[in-house]
Amino acid sequence: MKRRTRPQPTMAISEAELTSLTAELDELHHDVGMPAMQTALSRWTEDLRTSRRGFLIGAGAVVGGAVLAACGSSSSSSTTSSTAGGPGSGSATLTGDLAVAALAASLENLAVAAYGDVLTAAGAGKLGTVPPAVATFVTTVKGQHAQHAQAWNSAIMAAGHPAVTGPDKALVPTVDRAFAKVTDVTGAAKLALSLEDIAAATYQSAISAVTAPSSVKVAASIQPVEMQHAAILNFVLGQYPVPNAFSPLTGARTLADYRG
Amino acid sequence: MGQQHTTARGADDPMPDLDRTAMGLLLEESQDVHRDAMAATADALDDLADRRDELQLDPDEARAVGDNRRAARRGLTFGGGLLAAAGAAAALDALAAAPAFAASTPDVQILQTAASLEVLAVGTYKTALTLPFIGGSAANPVVKAFAMTTMQQHQEHLAAFNAAVTRLGGTAQTTADPVLSKVVAAAVPGLTGPAPVVALALELEQGAAETYVADTAALGDATAKKLTASVMGVEAQHVAILLAVQALLAANAPQLIALPPDAASLPAAAGSIGFPNAFFPTDMARPATEGAS
Repeated sequence: MKRRTRPQPTMAISEAELTSLTAELDELHHDVGMPAMQTALSRWTEDLRTSRRGFLIGAGAVVGGAVLAACGSSSSSSTTSSTAGGPGSGSATLTGDLAVAALAASLENLAVAAYGDVLTAAGAGKLGTVPPAVATFVTTVKGQHAQHAQAWNSAIMAAGHPAVTGPDKALVPTVDRAFAKVTDVTGAAKLALSLEDIAAATYQSAISAVTAPSSVKVAASIQPVEMQHAAILNFVLGQYPVPNAFSPLTGARTLADYRG
Repeated sequence: MGQQHTTARGADDPMPDLDRTAMGLLLEESQDVHRDAMAATADALDDLADRRDELQLDPDEARAVGDNRRAARRGLTFGGGLLAAAGAAAALDALAAAPAFAASTPDVQILQTAASLEVLAVGTYKTALTLPFIGGSAANPVVKAFAMTTMQQHQEHLAAFNAAVTRLGGTAQTTADPVLSKVVAAAVPGLTGPAPVVALALELEQGAAETYVADTAALGDATAKKLTASVMGVEAQHVAILLAVQALLAANAPQLIALPPDAASLPAAAGSIGFPNAFFPTDMARPATEGAS
């Protein structure tokens, strides 16, 4: 296969070589994954620039379910809320595909903040010993969620609206309560898994809810990545990494319960 | 997941000695969640059946829609296809040799191609499980359980895609993708250890996932789109695990392929090896009609 360079299957490699391989894969992501998504995004933003009318689907078009039901109920607050700058003004009036984009951006912002909190807590020694692979996971996933948010915001801004810079306010208290109970890597992984499951389910719903083919492409290019994050988290937690033959919609966020 | 094991065990079941201890318990724990997901898929397929009559197209209309769909897919594909060894020329040859698709809607063709990929995946895992280092006593138990479960998941995908095909008026696809079948056949003699098996499975899983990501934008029927969207992420998860296993094998650390893993001993880079792209690519998506009949 031309696109990917695979490691030699019979040759043992060192940590440095494995790191190099990861860097190479990251480079491929810029060479392959990004152009694919950017083409769809460019098409979408071009449509938005020419029409400025957004896309018309009703609120609640994204099907919903329980949200972070497994999270705790502590009243303590974490640093997640400190990043809740809220979406840019006017986002509450977005309709159609742009409303879905705002919801998605807010979920991505929430994930970025949550993983940032984990890194901060780990740096402060609040999570005990953090394995190097876990630190790499958190850092990499945080970066990918930031790219997802950027992608959605580029469409929103192309339509003349301010970027959504804050997390979904409806979820922040729940995440904060859950994070306040996290004392180790396992707890952090469980919280992260909840967020990844919600994001994946929401994107899967969005694929059916949005109307523009280009926005379908963007959502479809992100949902499998969130699913991959979840698979690795399941693995680390000692749970079967691919638990479903068909990915569920459980926990999908709705436009109706999105509060900006 | 538990449902898979109760329905899949037959006389020729390649997984009669599945370890039902730790891994088995984990699989059973996911049964309820899986059943919910299956119910959603079944509902979607029922909806497809209800709408079958309205989804029929005349041949001219089908060709016109097909042209549009292919254009949509081109917007998602970049460069070569899955398994460059197969090459664009081979894919074009297969397409040229394929029957005319005037009687099938583009959605049926896409779904038949998806089914053909699943047929190939099931067959490949089944073959792999006959190898002592994948399905035998010499196998890593996690790798073995993964191969068995993944094969069963592909079997379920196949059934779902074919149910969608038949309910849209098409013929169920029970033949493997003709282009990739040749690639797999050529690879089989080289499956002399876990690493080449993982590499081959990785190629097939990546190709299937990318095809389904592209299909979600190309499919016109909403219910078929929902079904495909519910499968693409699962294939991507197979990719993630295979990438991690591949890296650990390459690092000569097969002992770390365990559930749960010894996280403290994992190389730092193992934390990100499973998801190399922030946006899932589609440049290896198979042509929409490659596996259509």
